[in-house]
Amino acid sequence: MTIEWKNYPARDVWDELIAPGGRARRGAAALKKALAKLDDNELQERRYAAELAIRSMGITFTVYSGEESGAIDREWPFDIIPRLILKSEWDAISRGLIQRVNALNQFIDDIYHKQQILKDNVLPRIYIDKSRDFRPECMGVSPPHRVWSHVCGSDLVRGGDGTVYVLEDNLRVPSGVSYMLENREVMKRVFPELFTDYVIHPVDDYPTQLANTLRSLNPNANRTAQLAVLTPGIYNSAYFEHAYLANAMAAELVEGRDLVVGKDDYLYMRTIEGLVRVDVLYRRIDDTFIDPEVFNQDSVLGVPGLMRAWRAGKVALANAPGCGVADDKVIYTYVPDIIRYYLSEEPLLPNVPSYRCVEKEHRDYVLDNLDQLVVKPANESGGYGMMIGPKASKKERNQFARQIRANPRNYMAQPMLNLSTSPTLIDTHAEPRHLDLRPFILSGADNYVTTGGLTRVAMRKGSIVVNSSQGGGSKDTWVVDDQ
Amino acid sequence: MTTHTLSSTAFRTYWLGRYLERAGSTARLVQVNANLMMDLPMRLPLGWMPLVDILAQEDAFTDLYGDTVASPDSNEKLVARFLLSDARNPGSLLNALGFARENARTLRGTLPRAAFEHINEIHLYAREVLQEPLSRTRRNRGLKDIIAHLDQINGFLSSTMLHNASWQFFRLGNFIERADMTTRIIDLRSIDLLGHDTELAPFADIQWRSVLNSLDAMQGYTATVQNPINQEDVLEFLLQNPDLPRSLLRCLTTIRNCLRALPNNDEPLELINNMRRQLQRASVRRLEDAKLHRFVDVRQKQLFTLHQKITNHYFPQR
Repeated sequence: MTIEWKNYPARDVWDELIAPGGRARRGAAALKKALAKLDDNELQERRYAAELAIRSMGITFTVYSGEESGAIDREWPFDIIPRLILKSEWDAISRGLIQRVNALNQFIDDIYHKQQILKDNVLPRIYIDKSRDFRPECMGVSPPHRVWSHVCGSDLVRGGDGTVYVLEDNLRVPSGVSYMLENREVMKRVFPELFTDYVIHPVDDYPTQLANTLRSLNPNANRTAQLAVLTPGIYNSAYFEHAYLANAMAAELVEGRDLVVGKDDYLYMRTIEGLVRVDVLYRRIDDTFIDPEVFNQDSVLGVPGLMRAWRAGKVALANAPGCGVADDKVIYTYVPDIIRYYLSEEPLLPNVPSYRCVEKEHRDYVLDNLDQLVVKPANESGGYGMMIGPKASKKERNQFARQIRANPRNYMAQPMLNLSTSPTLIDTHAEPRHLDLRPFILSGADNYVTTGGLTRVAMRKGSIVVNSSQGGGSKDTWVVDDQ
Repeated sequence: MTTHTLSSTAFRTYWLGRYLERAGSTARLVQVNANLMMDLPMRLPLGWMPLVDILAQEDAFTDLYGDTVASPDSNEKLVARFLLSDARNPGSLLNALGFARENARTLRGTLPRAAFEHINEIHLYAREVLQEPLSRTRRNRGLKDIIAHLDQINGFLSSTMLHNASWQFFRLGNFIERADMTTRIIDLRSIDLLGHDTELAPFADIQWRSVLNSLDAMQGYTATVQNPINQEDVLEFLLQNPDLPRSLLRCLTTIRNCLRALPNNDEPLELINNMRRQLQRASVRRLEDAKLHRFVDVRQKQLFTLHQKITNHYFPQR
């Protein structure tokens, strides 16, 4: 037995590898052929090899369990069939992502200075007044290069007609990039022969690029930047990634209690040689926890005085506090207008068509069509708090209708997207599973976009929820030369 | 860019070293005492309680099990459970491994990748193999494996970890714990043996033999000291031999070397140099009874002061 491609159902949605009728898409023929050569045993062996590699490399993410042990590390589900993207398509997408992030950074900088976009009535003021992540404490601050979101993870999906849409922009503390890097390492161990069939563009310069981006933020130009990664600690679900990136960048991995802001407003870490100054802090904890003097007073994760040091320009924070104002699913609906406003360009990448519940016409439409729409709250992430209309019960829909009427600012809705699929190994045959893609965009003195990104796949049949916390897995993402 | 060692990292590596060493010496103690008991006549009162005394845990033990003057058999079971698997005893072998594991978890940026896996594995294994009710056979096999596995972990770390400041703190933890245990074992046997009970006299060398065994020093003793086992030579060997890995002098020398390799070391280095000099100059062969106890007590207090000095010096609290 081998993978029987003729039984592969690629009809209802766009499949990344297989075109309707069962033919391989451009660039995918060699992969399809190579997979078909493997019998059941070989497929199992490869999968076992991948599991072994993942375990021995210690690739884990943390899942919270109710048991006494608290959190446990679980291996990240990995599918051995890669996802393919042609280089020409990727280059176009990259340009669109850079355009988008540059516009968003100008937007954030405007919001914390003149707020011209509000004065010009391109964005109604209510969205800022009632924004959960707008931080008045950031008004008037000008971070290096006037860039606020230095690491952005945008989620891309492909619809039924093959169009790639931006589903959301994660501008605060997006995670997942270490899995992108590790997935490639696993694939090299599992399918070394495929790397001779293809020109697969490497992904592994990300840590170097991230370190360069962070160094370009150094506010203390007279000295070499000391970098540190601030983690909430081992019980955080992304701790593996924090440690991974710190190691790869030769930055210090620190927790709040390792840091102290001096009377001179500089940031220091406690070392065995005494206090050592930190110039750039890549913080992987949320705004509200970074400084108990300013935000959440109970936070033990942060550093008292950190905002003071940042405002005084003595330390750079990546991402800058307050950049979450642009990471709001309702602001998202304005991104095409934001691009036109700041860059005088047409957006290169489309948004998923969206309805704003604040606008009466849109709201009425949403309320009348709840059974066909996906409703999302403005500020949740990880797939929480949203309603997938066609799959929701009447009771859930009624509840969402009440919530929308009570707080329209907090909701937007989108038509149910027919997410694209890609063949995924289930037992010993390939089945289509829905997926998305999270590339990472770096911004400092320059921009950089990862080669591809992290492909997340919903391992459950028919499911479109790809989050690792909810049964998602991942695939290696290959950006390959057009042949 | 120069690399720095965070105080918190140094703190955790130090304690990782201590806990791993503590787990190993607890396992050794129980093994050796079991052997000793087999060699001694039943009516002698030595039993298992001395192990609890060694670790200065009498009160904790009494709190948990009451004033047990039970049969020797149940006494052995209780003491073994207390020292090995009782979760309520913070100093039990299983707890020491659990703490080592937690420290290793937080040190994944510092330790080689596989280190956490090894330490995790030994913790899981110990939990499994030391489950109650614990037969002597299973205990013996389990402790043997644990000791071997711990030695492997030490070897693995030594050959894969960068020998940087974190490594020095790991070794500091190892050797302060080791020095402490060596003095405790000597202290205990000194009190037991030196009652001038003629009945015990024929067994004196058996007990010193057990002391040598629990410090993995038997082979070294035979090779170095030409005389049959006797207290004077054993004391000198265990306290002052420069080459024996568990002799007090060897431990102090290693501690000194670790401190020399660290920055900012004036104060702790001064202390360890004094400790070493005093030990080298002492005439230990003739120490008996109360004098021996006092001598050992002073070394233990010095080790504690050294621990405090290192803690305050390198791991200051916020």
